[in-house]
Amino acid sequence: MSARDTILARIRQNRPAATALPDIHAVPFIRYDDQFAAFATLIRNLGGDAVQLPDGQSVADVVAARWPDAGRTVDLTVPQHEEVDDPHAWHDVDVAIVPGQLAVAENATVWVSHPDNRFRSIYFLTQKLVLVVPREAMVDTMRDAYARIQLAEHGFGAFISGSSRTADIEQSLVMGAHGAMAALVIFV
Amino acid sequence: MKDDSVKHPQAAAEFLKDRAQAKWHDSAIWWVRQKRDAQAKQLPEWEELRRLAREIKAHTLSQLDDYLAQFEANAQNNGVTVHWAADADEHNRIVHGILAARQVKKLVKSKSMLTEECGLNPYLEQRGIEVVDTDLGERIVQLRHEAPSHIVMPAIHLKKEQISELFHKELGTEAGNNDPTYLTHAARANLREHFLTADAGLTGVNFAIAETGGVVVCTNEGNADLGTSLPPIHIASMGLEKIIPRLEHLGVFTRLLARSAIGSPVTTYTSHFHQARPGGEMHIVIVDNGRSDILGNEDFYQSLRCIRCGACMNTCPVYRRSSGFSYSYIIPGPIGSTLGPSRDMKKHGSMAFACSTCGSCSNVCPVKINLHEQLVLHRKKAFEQNLLPAGKKMGLLAMRFLTQHPALFDLGGKVMRKVVPIIPESLTRHSAWSRAGRDLPPMPAQSFKELYQQRSQDKQDKEGQQ
Repeated sequence: MSARDTILARIRQNRPAATALPDIHAVPFIRYDDQFAAFATLIRNLGGDAVQLPDGQSVADVVAARWPDAGRTVDLTVPQHEEVDDPHAWHDVDVAIVPGQLAVAENATVWVSHPDNRFRSIYFLTQKLVLVVPREAMVDTMRDAYARIQLAEHGFGAFISGSSRTADIEQSLVMGAHGAMAALVIFV
Repeated sequence: MKDDSVKHPQAAAEFLKDRAQAKWHDSAIWWVRQKRDAQAKQLPEWEELRRLAREIKAHTLSQLDDYLAQFEANAQNNGVTVHWAADADEHNRIVHGILAARQVKKLVKSKSMLTEECGLNPYLEQRGIEVVDTDLGERIVQLRHEAPSHIVMPAIHLKKEQISELFHKELGTEAGNNDPTYLTHAARANLREHFLTADAGLTGVNFAIAETGGVVVCTNEGNADLGTSLPPIHIASMGLEKIIPRLEHLGVFTRLLARSAIGSPVTTYTSHFHQARPGGEMHIVIVDNGRSDILGNEDFYQSLRCIRCGACMNTCPVYRRSSGFSYSYIIPGPIGSTLGPSRDMKKHGSMAFACSTCGSCSNVCPVKINLHEQLVLHRKKAFEQNLLPAGKKMGLLAMRFLTQHPALFDLGGKVMRKVVPIIPESLTRHSAWSRAGRDLPPMPAQSFKELYQQRSQDKQDKEGQQ
């Protein structure tokens, strides 16, 4: 018998008595009166920042104002964006501007799964990550988020909250562990 | 590698010799517990979330074979290769087989307690494959040739001075520069090179979704994402208990995991992997290694609900004051102290006694495992299997005799209350109680039983008067 069949047979023999699957929608979860305020307050503690795009400005304007000396910048929000043949080719990206499909108020995460992106390495190699999210695409909790997300990018999708960070040295919080050193969410 | 021959009392005594370090360890970990509480209090539905998580996991375990088969079929539909490993050795052989067939020289790994359990790193290194642990804490302990001392904070036993010294030697950082930001960014630069030159990436798995055939990995550092988005091969190793039925159930578990683990609302990255990156291949190795046996044990199967958040060790008064290296099993603290003895009572039996039975672990556990009750049951097993040190066994037998003979118990108490206050200090100085720097407590005038009888009598008298 294969390892698979042996394992499954032993589980079948040993498994405990059946219990019901609960309905996770039957319980009321927290609601936020001002979702943007909750999101923006939280992300500041997570190595990020959130702004609403001011009238008359473009995303590029906001990014340029924030990082006037930015190096290689790649903007995946435009239809004819730059593309590479190897995921390593994104290694020197300084600013990546990417579309986020959904924002979650309770934990300041943004769902990223872009049907028009080839190599997801850009989200993690870039030094500064800019997530562009439609204003109306905001939910209260992760339960609402999972009801709406789609895995549109080669079977991949991620919730990203702020910067890459670690507290592995004496519990001191340091931004920029392996991924982005800074994160900016722009609601458009 | 983990020293699995340690016995908790002796190892803890050794750890406590450095009082300043022990005090720091205790307070650093307690701080994480407090952050967890602050997060929990922000959600009115916190206790309901724990109940839902418990019930989802309990249901999944009751149909685990069906969900595993469903997961496998859906993963295969996504183009992922699924492997099954009955034990640690089979897991290691499968992983090595995948890597060897593709001439992999360097493997970057993100955090995986399962591969620690299986001893994967030495297995691969002996066969000529360079293994680079990429979680900062895991990298630190790897460079020190140690095992992680905590499942979420692997290097919590170390001070920044020790890490600075290590990085100076291994990465060429400035001698004496102990700044955590400087040290972290030095490791970042070094590990980026490894990510960019690795031939394969291996991750653990936080959740495996039966409905979609995908796996979810949560990190704050982004190391799992870099390790799987650059090299062409992604191997995900998972214990078979990681299954959840549906995608929507992550709406419960992702709300609990980071809040329980580190007191953050969420991890930086909650990544859902269903396919390899374009041009790559993805493998999932499903590992049993004793889990299906635990499933069949009425007393202990609930431990398979664990989502490895570490909240139980952060709250544990014994763990905080003894550190992960005092535990013989690779997973320390309350959850390790039930998983270890379930796996090998002879080797890990002493862990079940590293517990004050205060129950705090069970009260913070996001999936409501009855941890402290399981530890008591393991103690019973250890006693029955005659695995206790002679002194402990004699003590327990004496206690049993006393509790079975109430008159003798009362007499013993009376004698103790009279005798202890007049024992000269020179005789008690070396008792386990006094060695920790404590004075003997003052003896009460009456026993609990006497007090209780007195109060009942008083109450009756009072009611009689009314």
